[in-house]
Amino acid sequence: MAKTNKLSARKKDERAAAYIFTIPAIALLVAFLVVPMVYTVYYSVFKYQVMRPNDITFIGLANYQKLFKDPEFWKALRNTFYFTIIVVPVQCVLALALALLVSKRFRGVSIFRTMYFSPQLTSMVVISVLWTVLYNSNPNTGLINSILVSFGLQPINFLTNAKTAMNAIIFMSAWQGAGYQMMIFLAGLQGIPTEQYEASAVDGANKWQQFWNITIPNLKGTIKYVIMITMIQAMKLFTQPYVMTQGGPKNATKTMVYYIYTQGFQKGNFGYACSVAAVFFVIVVAMSLILQKITNAD
Amino acid sequence: MKKVISLLLASAMIVGLTACGGSNSGATSSAPADGQTAAQTTEAADGAVQITIWQPSDKESVENWWVDRLAEWNAEHPDIQVNREAIDRSDSYAYDNKVATAVTSNDLPDILFVDGPQVSYYAANEIIVPISDYFPDLDDFVPSTVAQCTYNDQLYAIAATESSVAFYYNKDMLKECGVDTDDLDSRTIDNPITWSEMTAIAEKCTTADHVGTHIVMDHGEGIPYALEPMYISEGKDYISADGTTAEGYVNSDEAVKTTAFLANFIAKGYANVDPITDEFLNKACATMIGGSWEVATLTANADFDWGVTYYPVADDTKKAVSPCGDWSAAITRDCEHVEEAGQFLQWLMNTENVASYAAAIAKPATRTSAYEDPAMAEYKNFPLSLLVEQLQNTAVPRPRTPSYATFSTDYAEAMTNIFAEAASEGTVDEAYIKELLDGVSEKFTEDYTTYYAE
Repeated sequence: MAKTNKLSARKKDERAAAYIFTIPAIALLVAFLVVPMVYTVYYSVFKYQVMRPNDITFIGLANYQKLFKDPEFWKALRNTFYFTIIVVPVQCVLALALALLVSKRFRGVSIFRTMYFSPQLTSMVVISVLWTVLYNSNPNTGLINSILVSFGLQPINFLTNAKTAMNAIIFMSAWQGAGYQMMIFLAGLQGIPTEQYEASAVDGANKWQQFWNITIPNLKGTIKYVIMITMIQAMKLFTQPYVMTQGGPKNATKTMVYYIYTQGFQKGNFGYACSVAAVFFVIVVAMSLILQKITNAD
Repeated sequence: MKKVISLLLASAMIVGLTACGGSNSGATSSAPADGQTAAQTTEAADGAVQITIWQPSDKESVENWWVDRLAEWNAEHPDIQVNREAIDRSDSYAYDNKVATAVTSNDLPDILFVDGPQVSYYAANEIIVPISDYFPDLDDFVPSTVAQCTYNDQLYAIAATESSVAFYYNKDMLKECGVDTDDLDSRTIDNPITWSEMTAIAEKCTTADHVGTHIVMDHGEGIPYALEPMYISEGKDYISADGTTAEGYVNSDEAVKTTAFLANFIAKGYANVDPITDEFLNKACATMIGGSWEVATLTANADFDWGVTYYPVADDTKKAVSPCGDWSAAITRDCEHVEEAGQFLQWLMNTENVASYAAAIAKPATRTSAYEDPAMAEYKNFPLSLLVEQLQNTAVPRPRTPSYATFSTDYAEAMTNIFAEAASEGTVDEAYIKELLDGVSEKFTEDYTTYYAE
């Protein structure tokens, strides 16, 4: 009985310590996440010009009524979904392929790992500027078009044609982001017991069968995590269209976050921007829950 | 023991967190406490008034100019001490974002530098206060500056420097392409090149190695700034003179024609839709519509023979108009020492300071008398004299309207889309231009009626 009491007291202490340790994190979350979120919802029902903080008028759901009729809002939402739907599988498959390549032990493997990861270490702004030059439509100044022309092909207006601009950003983003997911997959791959591969080899399984029946099932948790974080990152797309296309051409690369930025900060429609942000927040949370449900069902 | 260590660690983390907050407060010691304005904290312990200036950071020569001038002022005025915070613009909107944040938190500096067309926006929203009383000698300033800084008949800001835009040409390339550069060199302000002449030069000079011209394609404020004179020359400005409506202006027949003229350069391949940085300097285009600051860049770096002539005019009207506008100083609503800030601005904008500042930043001065100062001697000679001549005779400020921020964003976006369409299709679609310019007008009307119409 005395032992039980002692254990119980120790458990209580641990619980108290756990609560105390979480206080800083909770304080930061409340200050920088919960409070801004509450304010966002609060301001979304006001007419609020950013330069007139003392002249705020309650307008009920007028901002929400306006945004549901706003073609730019729907265009931005479509663009964001399109980017996410394409970039998530492309980036995850690319990252897994790279991780499989560099998971083998061979001479110089760390050089390849560093090379694949290096785009992650560079600022997205710098990478966007670099790719803007690479994608330049003039073959005299754009490297990719200069290569196309040297092969007798027509130059492509990568960033100034509405049909190609978002795809050009997707390709660049997948290239930039895959290195990070590769490292996560690599950690997952290294956690798979080698005995499973050895046993399957004895049973006559080929590499393809090993990949589907050992690697993928063992990576299930990692894959779920990678898909989730890639999706959330993709939904927040801002830097690339901001630097490379300014949302154009023909709004083809205008994303939700970019739209919120232009409304709130460039035009000063703070109340309206808050209503767009609130709706977008609900969409992202809903998508995350749906994705979680789908992956858990598997 | 573990319990003690755990508690100690947790306490250390909490103290650390609190200390972080504390150090933040310390770093912004001039920031106001609850219910106070920034200026309420600007009286130093020794009784001297502290005036703070916010301005976008600039090149080294300008930063050095500020250090020297403020040292001079502070030594001569121990009762009014001025310090300046140079803020990195990072991109065209980062500085504006910082100001917007300060507006919300009542944390504005005493003196704020504002880009020309934003003066009306800030004045209409009562972010800045009238300063007419401190500048009785406005006749000495170029009319375009006074007009840009005036809202509702009150002067709200004052600038030391101005800007202009002209037509630059690479003489070596033009000669190779059979263009008479002597003719361009001989043009006067009464006889500038016309749109059709500009098109003919661009067509002749478009080769496999370079395009014929460069029209401003910065996707931002550069577009409305540099292209507005084309619209005025054709007959209609972007917005009505009273700043209340864009309907019938930015979407007028004249505006559609002007936009089609510009888009034609892209459609025909005479200009790049996504030009590289310093396209003219890098010899990727033969001519360009470029700012007055290009003179210093080309003088220092160009390895080819270049010339510059007056801003092109519409064939029908031949009306000469040129862009202008620069950053100007204003006193904010949070300033509690307006009199002292006004005294400082008077001194800052005296002839000697305007001349030396203009020389340091390599831009034309706003004060006519500054051009007599030895520091501005080179502005008496070509090519800088051409820019001054434009400023004094043909400069027109951007629209003075509180909805300028909305207009500028939407117009630049519409133009970018129009140019992209022209590049993709290889033709100019006037119906599409009209549709997009109608959209710009509608958004302007919505913004104006929502926030400013009585």
